[in-house]
Amino acid sequence: MGDWAPPTAQPAVASAPVVPDSNAIVAVTNVTKSFGDVVAVSDVTFTVGPGVTALLGPNGAGKSTLFRVMCGLTAPTRGTVRVLGADARNDRAVRGRIGLAPQQDALFDRLSARRFVEVAAKTHGVVDADTAARGVLDLVDLDADDPKVVGAFSKGMRQRVKLAAALVHEPDLLILDEPLTGLDPLQRNRMIRLFHQLGDDGKCLLVSSHVLDEVARLGSRVLVIAQGRLAATGDYRDLRGLMDDRPHRIRVAADGARVLAAALVERDLVNGVSISTDSLMIDTNDVDRFGRHIALVAKQCGVRLREVEPTDDDLESVFRYLVERR
Amino acid sequence: MSGFVPPVRAVRLSYGIVLRQLVTRGRIAALVLVGAVVIAIAIAVGASDGGRIDPVERGVRLISDLGFTTLLPIVALVFASAALGDMREDGTLVYLWLRPMDRWPVVVGAWLASITLSLPLTIVPLVVSAVAVDGGSELISATVLAGAIGVIAYSALFVLLGLLLKNPIVWGLGYILIWEGIVAAFGSFAAKLAIRGYTRSILTSITDVNLDLGDLSLPVGVVVPLVIAAAALALAGARLRTIDVA
Amino acid sequence: MSDAQILDRGYRRFEGKRSGVVGAMRSVAWHTVRSILGLGRKGRHKVFPIIVLVVSFVPAVAFMALAVLIGDLMQGELRPEYWEMFGFSFVATIVFVALVAPEAIVRDRRDGMFSLYLSTPLSRPSYLFAKVLAVLSTMSLIVLGPPVLWLLGYTFQSQGPDGIVGWLSVMGRILLAGLAICTIYTAVSLGVSSLTDRRAFASIAVVFVMLGASISAGVLVNVADLSANWRILDPITGALEIAPRLFGDRGDEMRGVSTWLVLLGNAGWTALGSALLFGRYRKLAAI
Repeated sequence: MGDWAPPTAQPAVASAPVVPDSNAIVAVTNVTKSFGDVVAVSDVTFTVGPGVTALLGPNGAGKSTLFRVMCGLTAPTRGTVRVLGADARNDRAVRGRIGLAPQQDALFDRLSARRFVEVAAKTHGVVDADTAARGVLDLVDLDADDPKVVGAFSKGMRQRVKLAAALVHEPDLLILDEPLTGLDPLQRNRMIRLFHQLGDDGKCLLVSSHVLDEVARLGSRVLVIAQGRLAATGDYRDLRGLMDDRPHRIRVAADGARVLAAALVERDLVNGVSISTDSLMIDTNDVDRFGRHIALVAKQCGVRLREVEPTDDDLESVFRYLVERR
Repeated sequence: MSGFVPPVRAVRLSYGIVLRQLVTRGRIAALVLVGAVVIAIAIAVGASDGGRIDPVERGVRLISDLGFTTLLPIVALVFASAALGDMREDGTLVYLWLRPMDRWPVVVGAWLASITLSLPLTIVPLVVSAVAVDGGSELISATVLAGAIGVIAYSALFVLLGLLLKNPIVWGLGYILIWEGIVAAFGSFAAKLAIRGYTRSILTSITDVNLDLGDLSLPVGVVVPLVIAAAALALAGARLRTIDVA
Repeated sequence: MSDAQILDRGYRRFEGKRSGVVGAMRSVAWHTVRSILGLGRKGRHKVFPIIVLVVSFVPAVAFMALAVLIGDLMQGELRPEYWEMFGFSFVATIVFVALVAPEAIVRDRRDGMFSLYLSTPLSRPSYLFAKVLAVLSTMSLIVLGPPVLWLLGYTFQSQGPDGIVGWLSVMGRILLAGLAICTIYTAVSLGVSSLTDRRAFASIAVVFVMLGASISAGVLVNVADLSANWRILDPITGALEIAPRLFGDRGDEMRGVSTWLVLLGNAGWTALGSALLFGRYRKLAAI
């Protein structure tokens, strides 16, 4: 298990600070992108500097659209995007400094991994494409001499081919759209370590994900996007703190549900309670206090607890909270 | 480590990638089969004595009817509309788009790739047909010239179509069959707006056989399609600049 | 004690009324028609079908306009027979056919809907019958539309067939001919479309087979000077020839061909197309 790195709560790298505009590698200003009646990205403003920044959002939040706008693949309906000081849609040189691993699973299916990455290198004007391709394939744990075509690859292997192709020209800005999808836990850890290494080298990495757990390990600076809006931005630990001031919802299964409910309200441990036959649904602002007292209260009331389970620590409820607060 | 990709190199890269994507066994086999059917019919025509009609005229009608109304434009449509259209549709265009190179070499490379496939798949069966009907050297050279000009122009037009529309094949069929087939048959002005009018003119002016809507001079028949091709490629380049890439 | 527990099996039985195979077929057929014509979708999906339909109606409308303007002159020789309306815009019809059949069946195979359909009360044959029904009825728009319009136009100008019986007999023959033509086109185009999983290639293949066979037969007869009987290899002219034969007449191209041979050719194309279609689908694995 030499490769295994346990998930760290503290990311190995210093997070990218909120950068002043002059240092920004990516500067998105009031960007709106709509497709007909559908607004995919709505009035988003942020800047990103060197290091790893995670773009977090549920499926359909507008992450990929935002990435596409940043790479110049589609023009914003309103607002401006500056990447490395220019507009990638019209600036040839800047396009050569971006590495994009798109979300869609499209590759040139009849090429081998090495040929595919070589093509990426050549189209970026890399001089020794073969060496460069071998190097990045090694970096993502793929065998450069595997004659199999990428069409026959598994999802996880294809993801890594895409990553290699995005890395092969040593870009200054790496935009990786859901790059960890389809990878097994081991590869996931290795890739996350690779991202941090690149960040340490001064590259700017924007990595999107819809999995909270992944994002926590990607780096501490996050952009949270929900329903096309920028819902939160900053250090994720601070964000967690912010999220803690919303009522947590906890389900408590107990034999004497009514008695327990009365006792909890009486001791001011909960904001609200709803009761069904043998369980309670509890809203509380202070999970820690609730957690410390629940067992004691139950014992005092002579109630037997069967289960205490938080029900809303999934990402979607966090977003609902973030968005509805507006 | 990376840098600007000069245009000639970009053309070569685009050409190689697109060619690789376009060559599928099924596609080539099906179109070779179609070519074989054309040759079989030409052999049947050549073998019949058909005493009333002059062999050159028979050849011209065969090449024009089978070759220039269906085989040639449709083969060009199959490859050219897919050249960039398929990549746009399946999301691989980004691997040619987000690159430090100009747009026009990508278009030109794709166009050359589709010509590389369409040309042999159309000219070979048509030249064999011209030989089979005993049409003589004039018919053969007319077929080669008109066929090449046709492939060049149709391919450019359909590369553009592939970048403009979501379902380029159906629109292309509509253009080939309805516009060129029906509308252009209404009069000589409308025929000037159809590539078929020019390929026919090349055929007739070299062989001296009269065909409907084939009354333009040889230089016009050659130059206008080339101008159309250049214009279509320029438009395709501009379109690629402003396109939304998946 | 394990922590694992199943809280809800998440399956609810459908308690409503079930419409069975017939209902499933009806809904597949209806949704196929909608997707072909772009109904309920954005405007751009409707553009192509509309253009092709309009083009195919142009001759009938033009002749009607002429009949209104110079009604008297349009009598006798100049006035097209009812059956002649079937062939005027056959090229537009073929383009339409090349759009319709692939749209109807190819996409289902590519995106996995076919397998999904087979998990419903539909079986392969009932699925295919629903598709045939959809294609047949969509095609009848373009095949039957112009001649029916033509007949109605003349009727409103009091130049139509004499008497209610005469009118019904003309209308009946138009409908019968139209249905026969649609059946042949449907069989051939669906058969060809069953060969490939790409809609675009299916469209190309439909055109190559139908128009290619038609032009080839024309070349064989006109250029190679072979017997007119070779025309039965032409699925377009052959199908269209049914119309004049029903009116006791003969079309120019197949004048020398006996009615039996015309029927044989059409039966052959229909059988070939159907065999291809059902043969392909019998072997097709539901993923």
